[in-house]
Amino acid sequence: MSWITIVWSINVGACLTLAVMYLAVWCRERESFVRLLFSCIAASAALIAAYELQLIRADTPEEYGAILRWRPLSTWVLVLSLVAFTRLYLRAGRSWMALSACGLQTLIVIVNFVFTPNLYYQGITAVRQLPWGGETASIPLGTPSPWSLLNEATLLLLLVFFVDATITVWRRGDRERALIVGGTTTFFGAIVAAQFLLVILGIIQAPFFASFAYLGIVVALGYQLCNDAIRAADLASELQVGEERFRRVVEAAPSAMIMVNHEGQITLANLQAEKTFGYSREELLGRPIEMLVPERLRSGYRDFRHDYFCHPQARSMGAERELFGLRKDGSEVSVEIGLSPIQSSNGPLVLASIVDITERKLAELEAARQRHDLAHLARVSTVGEFSSSLAHELTHPITAILSNAQAAQRFLAHDDVDLDEVRDILNDIVTQDLRAGEVIHGLRLLLKKGGPQAYCDDVDLNEVIRDVVKLMRNDLINRNVTVDTDLAQNLPAVTGDHVQLQQVLLNLMLNGCDAMADCDSSERRLLIASQLENGAVRLSITDRGGGIPEKNMEQVFERFFTTKKEGMGLGLSVCHTIIDAHRGKIWATNNAGRGATFHFRVPIVGVGKRQ
Amino acid sequence: MTTGLLMPAPLGPTVFIVDDDEPVRKAVSRLLRSAGIAVAVFASPREFLAQYDPASPGCLVLDITMPEVDGLQLQATLGEKGSILPIIFLTGHGDVSKSVQAMKRGAFDFLSKPVKDKDLLTAVRAAIERNAVARLDQAKLSEIRARLDTLTPREREVLEQVVSGKLNKQIAGDLGITEATVKMHRAHVMEKMKVQSVAELARLTERCGTRGNSE
Repeated sequence: MSWITIVWSINVGACLTLAVMYLAVWCRERESFVRLLFSCIAASAALIAAYELQLIRADTPEEYGAILRWRPLSTWVLVLSLVAFTRLYLRAGRSWMALSACGLQTLIVIVNFVFTPNLYYQGITAVRQLPWGGETASIPLGTPSPWSLLNEATLLLLLVFFVDATITVWRRGDRERALIVGGTTTFFGAIVAAQFLLVILGIIQAPFFASFAYLGIVVALGYQLCNDAIRAADLASELQVGEERFRRVVEAAPSAMIMVNHEGQITLANLQAEKTFGYSREELLGRPIEMLVPERLRSGYRDFRHDYFCHPQARSMGAERELFGLRKDGSEVSVEIGLSPIQSSNGPLVLASIVDITERKLAELEAARQRHDLAHLARVSTVGEFSSSLAHELTHPITAILSNAQAAQRFLAHDDVDLDEVRDILNDIVTQDLRAGEVIHGLRLLLKKGGPQAYCDDVDLNEVIRDVVKLMRNDLINRNVTVDTDLAQNLPAVTGDHVQLQQVLLNLMLNGCDAMADCDSSERRLLIASQLENGAVRLSITDRGGGIPEKNMEQVFERFFTTKKEGMGLGLSVCHTIIDAHRGKIWATNNAGRGATFHFRVPIVGVGKRQ
Repeated sequence: MTTGLLMPAPLGPTVFIVDDDEPVRKAVSRLLRSAGIAVAVFASPREFLAQYDPASPGCLVLDITMPEVDGLQLQATLGEKGSILPIIFLTGHGDVSKSVQAMKRGAFDFLSKPVKDKDLLTAVRAAIERNAVARLDQAKLSEIRARLDTLTPREREVLEQVVSGKLNKQIAGDLGITEATVKMHRAHVMEKMKVQSVAELARLTERCGTRGNSE
């Protein structure tokens, strides 16, 4: 067998093999049109190679012309496929060039069938047997048709199209594809164009061998597609490893992790999620996330989820609101939730990291309870300090009641009962009884242990001042202290605990009284002022005592700091704790004249409150 | 209720109530009135002092703890003025130290609030009684003093000698006068002092607390 037959047959075989292979691959994955196009390119290249072998073996000009006549059809398939491939695979090349080249190629096919014998020759006069590489190859002798210039023009346009596409891809940074796909296509395209011109114009004496250029293109494209497949496989395995790692990280996470898809179905849950909610993984996967949300919160949650998928961003859920999860056993669990959106091939997902904060809440409650206990203890001790005054406060109404009642008994024993007098007496008894009741109520409030959930009353600080002044009335008399008040009108309420704020004022007033113990009794004056400032109410308690030594100014609110003999050093530190819990501020200043002023401020209702 | 004299009884005894707590004041005064005792109420020691007539009989029911001037201070002021008005203190719980002070200064009684009617009425009646006796004593004393004031210096000298138990002869010798003159002076003294015996005379002068040198 001649080597020409062998070489060209190998060419045909190689191209056909690739064509069939990629057609088969495409059949499995219909979306990948690039592979179908490649298959078309390879098939048409095989056809072209087969035609070339036929031409080499042609004996008569008629035979030669007839074979050559079919060739543009396969070239047409090849060009169209190649252009489409470039556009699809490289996502480059100007569309007007692509359309023009395809249009021209189509025109060539039409013109080719209009003329005889074909587009390339006006007529083939003879077939010459050219000795070629030790064998003979048929080459045509005849007049080239001017229409073959159309062929050349089309090839030229194609070359420009490829160069342009290559440059675009190169600039995009994808140099490998630019070189392998764009470069080889351009290079072999140039060879095809040159060879055609030279052979048809008879400049070189050789048979058509453009099929090898096409083979080059097919090999280059096939190589690149293969490369892509390998890379895709690498990526896939990497992805798998990554996914595995992701799963392991999620599994090992100390907080419950649950992934939810756009429909709200659980697509992933870790061990901690099982523990937190009491469901096994099988019970969670594929089920709606709502099953973990308490019934009363579900509708609000659905809206939230919808909004979140519209504006996905990593953030915490609830914005300081308390969140609850629903366990399998129906109990609720206090949680904190962080959300991260994840884009996946299956649409947007949300990874929720859920932390069970039950213990933290318990600890917070415990801390609040201890704070309350301490405040209560200090309050009881404060009240103890002036318990005799408080007893006095009760003595007055009780004395009045007893005397009134016994007076009434005596009046009633008289012969002419003065009923008006008795009526007056009874009225007074009622009034005094109520007064005693008020004292007891106030005392009981002060001695009562508030719950840690307090701090949410609306408190009128002017009322607090009035209550405390009333409570201390006797003590103030005993200490010879006069209290002046300067209260702001229409003071807005503050958020807090009425009793604890009373306690703070009581402490500060007792402190002021103590500070003036050594003063002349005419000098013992305490001024209590209230005022509104910057969203808070501020109370100031001004005494005329000895003031605070500058070196102690920083320490006065520290626990166990005291300058008094009997003092425990708890009063002011408890004031500090209480005002802190009210999100307020407490401080002391020395007066310009004599004495010191203690101030504290508490935000008014709606300011500084948790939203 | 206004304070001040409620029941104008210038001749009968009046209980003066001084207490800063109006309901207590009113109730105590009612209790006393229910027992037929005249009362006058005052909201503060200052108010009481402004209206008080030392001549009026009765007693004072005084709250010990009051703003500005307290019960103890009023007691002291009255003492300085030589008042003989008995003071019954009404004390609250825990006024022990003040009570002791008041006791030392001669308070008539202490009653702790709330006070039972019997306790208060008993104390008030006793105080009024005491006041009456004291006033009587005081009246007698001034009578004796008035009689003493009528004596001449010589008669007074004779009086002193007589009550110290000397005989007429000794007196005559001491004063350098005749025994007859002593007898005459002695008769004048007995007449002016309105006594029948030397023993009676001695009792009167002793009550007066004078030995002749006090005047």
